[in-house]
Order: sequence, then C-alpha cells, then structure tokens
Amino acid sequence: MMISVRVRAFARYRELFGERFEVTVPAPATVRDVVMAVEESNPRGMGELLDSGGRVKPSVIVLVNRERVTGSHRDDHPVAGGDEVAIYPPVAGG
Amino acid sequence: MVPGMIRITRDDINPGKILEEAEASTIGALVSFLGVVRDDGIERMDLEAYEEVAEEELARIREQAIARFGVSHVDIVHRVGMLSVGDHIVMIVVGASHRKAAFEGCEFIIDQIKESVPIWKKEYTADGSRWVAGEHE
Repeated sequence: MMISVRVRAFARYRELFGERFEVTVPAPATVRDVVMAVEESNPRGMGELLDSGGRVKPSVIVLVNRERVTGSHRDDHPVAGGDEVAIYPPVAGG
Repeated sequence: MVPGMIRITRDDINPGKILEEAEASTIGALVSFLGVVRDDGIERMDLEAYEEVAEEELARIREQAIARFGVSHVDIVHRVGMLSVGDHIVMIVVGASHRKAAFEGCEFIIDQIKESVPIWKKEYTADGSRWVAGEHE
C-alpha cells in the first residue's frame, strides 16, 4: 500500500524542493523514506539531505507533525499517511 | 501569569512603544535587546520563518526564562520579510526586580533564539544572494 505524506520545506530546501507538496511512499514508512522521496524529486537536490550511506544528514532538521525528531533512531521514526513532515537547515534567526 | 507577548510580524518594531508598555508592569529593572540589520555590504535581507513552530518555540523559551531567572516581564518580537540595512530584526524586553536577572534572562533568550527557533536569513548583495549560516550547524 502506498501512502501520501504532506511535506513542508524551508530556506534552501524550499528553493530546491518546493514549499508545500506531497510525496507518495510505501507503507509502513519512515522519516528516511520520506526524506529520500523528497531528495529524489529534484536531481539538483542530490546529496543535500542524505549522506553517501543513505542516512539523513545530521544537519537536516526533521519535524513530524510539528514535533522535532531527534536521536540515533530518527531515520526509523514512523510516518503515517496524512502526516506533515517538515525539513529545514540549521536556523539563523535573531 | 507573567505579562508580555510573543509576536512574529511583517511590520516594523516600535521599540519605544514596547518599552513603555513593559514599564507599566515592571518594578526594578528592564533590559532590552534590539537586533538591527548590519551593513555587511548587503543590499537587503529576506527573513523566512516556519511561523507556527517558531511561535511555539518562542513561547517555550519565554517560559524557560521565567522559570530559570524569575523574571517578571518578557516580550519577544521577531520580524520576517524583506529588510534593509538599519531595519529592526528582533526585540527582546525582560523585566525583573533586579538587574542581574533581567540581563541574564535577556541574554539567555537571544542565545536560545539563535539555537532553535526556525528562522532563516537570505542576504542579497550586488553579486547575488546567499543563505546566512546558522551558529549551530
């Protein structure tokens, strides 16, 4: 079964992948599946979100339903159909 | 409840007005921080925020400052949108009974903003544009 996930991207990632869009991934899906689908949506974005081993880069901040996902298992964090996944680079406000 | 406000706005910040309103609820000390666009050879700066999350994060930082330093008033106002050199970026006002708590609370808040609030700056120069790198890469 395929599920649709809402994605929001900010700053440099917004420029590369779009501001708000949806990606379709096979269920059960993880943060890594969603981030990979985002990266593959633009050839110019290759290497921006995933490292050479296919892991989400530590500098990519990921939120699922507005809650930040951290820790060593964040790639495996589950994502369900209809969830909102946000990705952004390190912040620079203030 | 500790008085004060949190705001992410496209409108200019009026420091005098914010200070005046903070004064009404503060006895002792009032410390303010005003961030201003620096002349780094840029023509303008575009500020972008994940507004829903930025507001939640600012509220969390505000509560932390209150709990940690016992301050009695906190305002945090952050601009988004296109700014020019000399424009206000952020204003923080912290009131407390004594100066030490007000200074420490204010510094804590700006440090936390730079670390965790989803806001980004894109600078435009005569040669093009660039995203400002975060201090916590």
